Amino acid sequence: MTVVSNARGAAVLLAAALALSACGGSGGSGGSGGGDQGPKRFSVALTEPDHLTPGNTSSSYSITVLQAVFDTLVVIGPDGSPQMRAAESVTSQDQKTWTIKIKPGQKFHNGEEVTAQSFADAWNAAAYGPNAWTNNYYFANVEGYDKLNPEAEGATPGTDKLSGLKVVDPATLEVTLTAPFSQFPITLAYTGFAPMPKAAFTDLKAYDQKPIGNGPFALDGEWQHNRQIALKRFDGYAGPRPAKADGVLFRIYASRDTAYTDLRAGKVDLLQTIPPASAPEAKRLLGDRFVPTASGTMDYLGFPVFDKRFQSADLRKAVSMAIDRQAIVDAVFNGAFKPMGSLVAPLVPGYREGACGEACTYDPAKAKALYDKSGGFSGTLNLYFSNADPSYEQWMTAVANQLKQNLGIADIRFRKIPASDYLSTLREKKEDGPYRNNWVMDYPSPQNYLESMWGAGNRMGWENKEFTDLIAQANAAPSMEASIPLYQRAEDVALAEMPMIPLWNWQDQAGYSSNVTGVRIDAYSPNLDTISVK
Amino acid sequence: MRYAAQRLLQAVPVFVATTFLIYAMVWALPGDPILALAGDKPLPESVVRTLRAHYHLDEPLIVQYGLYMAGVFLRGDLGETFTGQPVAELLQDRWGVTAQLALTAWVFELVVGVGLGVLAGLRRGRLADTLVLAGTTFVIAVPVFVVGYTAQIVLGLNLGLFPTAGTDEGWPVSYLLPGMVLGSFGLAYVARLTRTSVVENLRADYVRTATAKGLRRSRVVGRHTLRNSLIPVVTYLGVDFGNLMAGAVVTEGIFNLPGIGQQVFQSIQLQEGPVVVGVTTLLVMIFIVANLLVDLLYGVLDPRIRRG
Amino acid sequence: MVDVKAAAESTVPGGGEPPGSLWHDAWRELRRRALFWVSAAILLVALAMAAFPSLFAALGPNEGCDLRDSKRGPGPGAVFGYDLQGCDYWSQIVHGTRASVLIGLAVTVFALLIAVVLGLLAGYYGGVLDAVVSRVTDVFFGIPFVLGATVVLVAFPGQGIWAMTLVLVLLGWTTMTRLMRGQVIAVRDTDYVQAARALGAGDVRVMVRHILPNSLAPVFVVAMLNVGNVISGEAVLDYLGVGLQYPDVSWGLQLNVAQSFFAEYPHLLLFPALFLTATVLSFLLLGDVVRDALDPRLH
Repeated sequence: MTVVSNARGAAVLLAAALALSACGGSGGSGGSGGGDQGPKRFSVALTEPDHLTPGNTSSSYSITVLQAVFDTLVVIGPDGSPQMRAAESVTSQDQKTWTIKIKPGQKFHNGEEVTAQSFADAWNAAAYGPNAWTNNYYFANVEGYDKLNPEAEGATPGTDKLSGLKVVDPATLEVTLTAPFSQFPITLAYTGFAPMPKAAFTDLKAYDQKPIGNGPFALDGEWQHNRQIALKRFDGYAGPRPAKADGVLFRIYASRDTAYTDLRAGKVDLLQTIPPASAPEAKRLLGDRFVPTASGTMDYLGFPVFDKRFQSADLRKAVSMAIDRQAIVDAVFNGAFKPMGSLVAPLVPGYREGACGEACTYDPAKAKALYDKSGGFSGTLNLYFSNADPSYEQWMTAVANQLKQNLGIADIRFRKIPASDYLSTLREKKEDGPYRNNWVMDYPSPQNYLESMWGAGNRMGWENKEFTDLIAQANAAPSMEASIPLYQRAEDVALAEMPMIPLWNWQDQAGYSSNVTGVRIDAYSPNLDTISVK
Repeated sequence: MRYAAQRLLQAVPVFVATTFLIYAMVWALPGDPILALAGDKPLPESVVRTLRAHYHLDEPLIVQYGLYMAGVFLRGDLGETFTGQPVAELLQDRWGVTAQLALTAWVFELVVGVGLGVLAGLRRGRLADTLVLAGTTFVIAVPVFVVGYTAQIVLGLNLGLFPTAGTDEGWPVSYLLPGMVLGSFGLAYVARLTRTSVVENLRADYVRTATAKGLRRSRVVGRHTLRNSLIPVVTYLGVDFGNLMAGAVVTEGIFNLPGIGQQVFQSIQLQEGPVVVGVTTLLVMIFIVANLLVDLLYGVLDPRIRRG
Repeated sequence: MVDVKAAAESTVPGGGEPPGSLWHDAWRELRRRALFWVSAAILLVALAMAAFPSLFAALGPNEGCDLRDSKRGPGPGAVFGYDLQGCDYWSQIVHGTRASVLIGLAVTVFALLIAVVLGLLAGYYGGVLDAVVSRVTDVFFGIPFVLGATVVLVAFPGQGIWAMTLVLVLLGWTTMTRLMRGQVIAVRDTDYVQAARALGAGDVRVMVRHILPNSLAPVFVVAMLNVGNVISGEAVLDYLGVGLQYPDVSWGLQLNVAQSFFAEYPHLLLFPALFLTATVLSFLLLGDVVRDALDPRLH
């Protein structure tokens, strides 16, 4: 009885709360000393990062912090093209040797000058195998990488400097790659390529707790694990984007549901990841302070093509056509995500809506016909995903129900793998059924999607010479524009064979409190420097 | 004193076996925590090798356990997480949160639980008794996360009586609501236990004798009944402190309290052996010490046990 | 969370009474209690749903689902509305009964068997055997329930109802074993057991014929309360996402899904919570009234 009345009561009170906050909110200050006295800083909800050393983290939570603390050489503009930030120019004649000119007069938070050497030092450290930094792999196409990462067991590298990095003068860095790579400038927007001051290398452990960067915000005290990270405005900042607010307080949450509850309660000013399930409510509650942002993140369903039961392209296409992407997006993600008929996300230059055509369009009758033509599937169909988020299980359940109903596959089971084991399961090709594949974009180039997921040594065990040739040609193209048609042809090859089917493109849904203005979140950065406190 | 020493001695093998069991179970988790660190991106073999050796993941189980325990007892070193943070430091940060939460829940159980129990016991069969019995049974039957979410939304968000989440307001304000949610289950048990105990003691011979001798009822209840009734309650409360710390997983998750419960749940999924084992080791230690204290307190409350 | 020792503390065996009259008296007492009939009726319905779900639900588990009905509230054609997957919620909840009830009963039965055997042996023979059993009990007793279960279930995911049962038995047999051992020790030295021995009865005969019937009552009561606690515990593990998974259907799984949607769609949380609470409550109440009935001092 109590449960009934409580739940009803909750709904009524919730409506009252919505009405209240629609009238301007009761002014939560983010618990961060808003009002007239004290510094004007705002709070941002965050999940605990893993590291704060730029070369040692690929976590999106770390990157949110690092984008406020560091200025990378290049940033990605709203249209997905590279724009110079710490660099004056990034040029090349042959797409293999690149010359980077660095803007003069930039300083680290400790007063040290930002020079070509600051970048070379940071990149050498990341590429040096024994340091065991996460972003090591991003330097694999720089000449001399092999010497820093010897294959043999127990071997120590003879050098800790990439031979492909040459500091010509304090403002010029020359980078030599192992092969032509037309997309190189845009990759420099990744925080893994940020500079590090000399001071960092005296104590890397301490640096990880309190990184010194060259961006508009500096750390205000050490990183307090699982609680908060405080930033203050860097007054010596000479770059193009000085901070509007006095500081930022990252509040660390273990669950985004709780963070969302705090946003509603006015205890946190900005939340970049409103849970999709709460999106409709947030939209009503926040009005124009609810900001959906395009994202490069995609979900796919991959097939173990190395398993002979999945070798028929028709079978794979039948599965694709039996999945009602729009209905799943509506049910599980409250319509927030975008069903996809392309292998790259819409914000990537060279994206074509519906590149996949009929094969990614829901059509149970055609799917069944194609399925029967392909010889069908017998036995137990295992679906693989990790336990990292409950929504994976929710949409996989929908997929399972649809395959059962539309194709008549009777025996479908789940293989929910611990998150720590999931990727190694796929890497070792131990899966025997379709699996969830997710891609978080590193930089907006079709190459980032196509070569990483369909290229040599891919997880599906799919091999296609035409595809790899097209990718190689595109990488060597004289400009980014010239490379696009070649990538598109490669995408067509991958879609015709369909070793992995596109499902949907994520949307990030941010929300902010009435306490802040100037929120300009885009797909590449929350742009915390533009936010000011009322 | 000999009794205490004997109990302590018995605890040693239990401690070793429990920690080894936990260690072995964590070790049995499939998968490679190192490979998982890099997310979707590949990690070069040389990097993997370096990390694996650093965390002794290339050693057999028994050696890992030995190295770990040697570290704990010789150097007071609980190992480090895969992000390089020392476990001891991590627990130091988080320990206080869970302890404050458990303590709040525990005090709530003790005060409200015993209070309701005594009330119900003294008024056996009347309305108050029926209400307490019905209410507590209901609380035991409703899943804790349903209680938690409902309390958070209704009492925290809509009525604004409590902070919705986090530890900003400090103890006790931030811990009141989560403490009540966490303690609700134990509270129901304590109340019922106290009630039964009071009812039984009121019928005991010595109470009849005391009443027959002309002592006032309030004095009999205060001096004799309550003291004797508290014995089983003390046992439960003692053991329950350890349970509360372990049971904090769900509550800390709902209310975003950065305590050990949340940490250990994440660590199990990330296969961070040192954290899981470290936390469990400490929990088992608290559990054993609490049991020991309860046994000793028993002796004070009930002189007959000292002889046994 | 599976912690029932407290409830057992106050239960004292019928001592040297002949067993027949104890249970007989208890039954006479029970028949007079309304609570007994209410909880028994609820449990009968739950058992029927678990055994013959098709009598109650028109559709099979995960059958006839249309995503376009996802999360729609109660209305004509669907009294309980639809779940996230667009399946008829009433049917899904009926099918969820089996997992909860089956696990609750199976875990309790297995734990009770272990408790009876180990308790009898340890209590009766004492000495080294008792010391070993007691220490092993201590070891398992000291493992925190949620953490221990999570570790095992994360290591071996997706093994279904029986793996879940095994885990819950592994972590749940200690309370009853301790209680049983205590009861056996109390009964072991009574006059009639001594007399039976003096008359030349063997160990097995003494244990089975004399000690067992006289020590079982309180353990039995705890076992009934335990069913409810196991069902709650299983739901908590499902809720945390380490328990059962598709194609199994359970109330815990339904609550797991409901947690992200319940603010907008309260029926997702309400109905499985109601069923879960009613079932757990009935087991607890039944255990309570049976205990009262078995306790001669409260008559």
